[in-house]
Amino acid sequence: MINTAKFDYEPTEHEAEKASNSYLMSLIALIVGLPLPIINLIATLMFYVGNRKGTYFVRWHCTQALLSQLSMLLINSYGFWWTVSIIFTDETITDNYIAYLITALIFNLTEFIATIYTAVQTRKGIHISWWFYGSLTNLICKSDI
Amino acid sequence: MKKIIIQGLITISLFFASWLFLVQIDWTSLLKVQKITDKTEEKLGDLFWEVYQKNTHENKNPLIVSAVDSLVTKICSANKIDRESVKIHILEEEDINAFAMPNGHLVVYTGLILQSENPEELSGVIAHEIAHIQLNHVMKKLVKEVGLSVLISMTTGNSGSDIIKETAKMLSSSAFDRGLEKEADIKAVDYLIMSKTDPEAFANFLYKIADTESEVTTYLTWVSTHPESKERAEYIIDYSKDKKVKYQSILSEETWAKIREKLTAE
Repeated sequence: MINTAKFDYEPTEHEAEKASNSYLMSLIALIVGLPLPIINLIATLMFYVGNRKGTYFVRWHCTQALLSQLSMLLINSYGFWWTVSIIFTDETITDNYIAYLITALIFNLTEFIATIYTAVQTRKGIHISWWFYGSLTNLICKSDI
Repeated sequence: MKKIIIQGLITISLFFASWLFLVQIDWTSLLKVQKITDKTEEKLGDLFWEVYQKNTHENKNPLIVSAVDSLVTKICSANKIDRESVKIHILEEEDINAFAMPNGHLVVYTGLILQSENPEELSGVIAHEIAHIQLNHVMKKLVKEVGLSVLISMTTGNSGSDIIKETAKMLSSSAFDRGLEKEADIKAVDYLIMSKTDPEAFANFLYKIADTESEVTTYLTWVSTHPESKERAEYIIDYSKDKKVKYQSILSEETWAKIREKLTAE
C-alpha cells in the first residue's frame, strides 16, 4: 500500500519539514474535528492553498494529503449524516449501519497510521508514495523543471 | 492513467467488500441494541403512565375491568400475542378516546365504552390500538416527534417533568401518520377475524362517529385525531368482506347493558 519511491531530487531540510507538516495538519485536525469530518478537509485544504506555490516536494505531499482527506470526507460524511438521521428521525440502528461504521473506522485507522508513518518519513526527507493516491498525485502535481 | 483507474476501483471495491462482509454479522443482537431499546421503552411507558395515574382517576370497577380484560384476552390469545405485554387501563374520562403508550400500556376512556353500542365496537378500537403496539408504531412516533436524544434523557432523569407531561399528552391527543393508521386498521381487522369478532362493528362505529362528528366535536378525541373516519370504515368493510368466518359474541347483551348502566350512573 505504501512504498518508498525515489523522488526527482533530494529535498532540503526545510522542504522535508514543510511536507511532513501537511500530514501533521490532517492528524491534528482529525483529533480536533473527529465528529465533524469536514474540519479535516478544511484544515488540509488551507495548508494546501498556503503551499501550492511551494517547492515540488512540498506541493507533492500537500496534494497527497489533500486527496486522501477528500475520500475520507466522503466516507465520514455519509456515516455522520446516517448517525444524525438515527438520532433525530425514525431511522433505527441496523446491522447495515453498524457494519458501515466499522468499515469506516478501519479505513480511517488505516489512513491514520499511514499518515503518521508518512509524516515521520517525509520529515527525514524520504519520499513516500501511497497506493492510488501517489499515482493520482503524480498526475496532478508536475515538476517545475 | 489506466493504472490509476484500476487502483481507484480496487480501493472502492475494497471498501464495499468490507462493508458487505461485515453486514453478515448480526451486530444488533451482538451489541444488545434491541435490549437497550426495550429498556428505554419500558421506562418511558412507566413514566407516561405515572403522569396519567396522577392526573386522572382509574376505573377499577371489577365488572368493567373484567369485561374489557376479556375483550383484550380474546384478541391476544387468538393472535398469539403475549397477554402480559398489553397493560390495559380504564380511565374515568368523558372523551371518546383510547390510545397506546410505550411498553404496551393501553388506555381506554370510559367515554369510549359508553359510546360503543356493543362489545364488538369496543373490540375494534382496542384491536386497532393493540395493532399500534404490536407494530411498534408508538416508539416510531415518539422518536419522530420528540427525537431519540430527548427520549433517552427522559429515562435517565435529565429531562424536566414538563417535557414528560407534554409528551404523554401528545400521545393521547395526536394521530399517527396516515400510513401507520391504515396499517393498524388492517392489522386490527386481521386480529378481529382471528378472534371471530365481526369487524363490521368496528366499521359501523367509525361510520356512526363520522356522522356525529359535525355535531359534537368536544369529546370525540379519538375521531378527531383519526381523520377520515368514513374512508377508514370503507376500507375496513372492503378488506373484511371476503373473509368467511362465523363470528361469535364475546360478552352477553345483558353484561354489556349492565356495564353501560354502571358507567352512566357513575
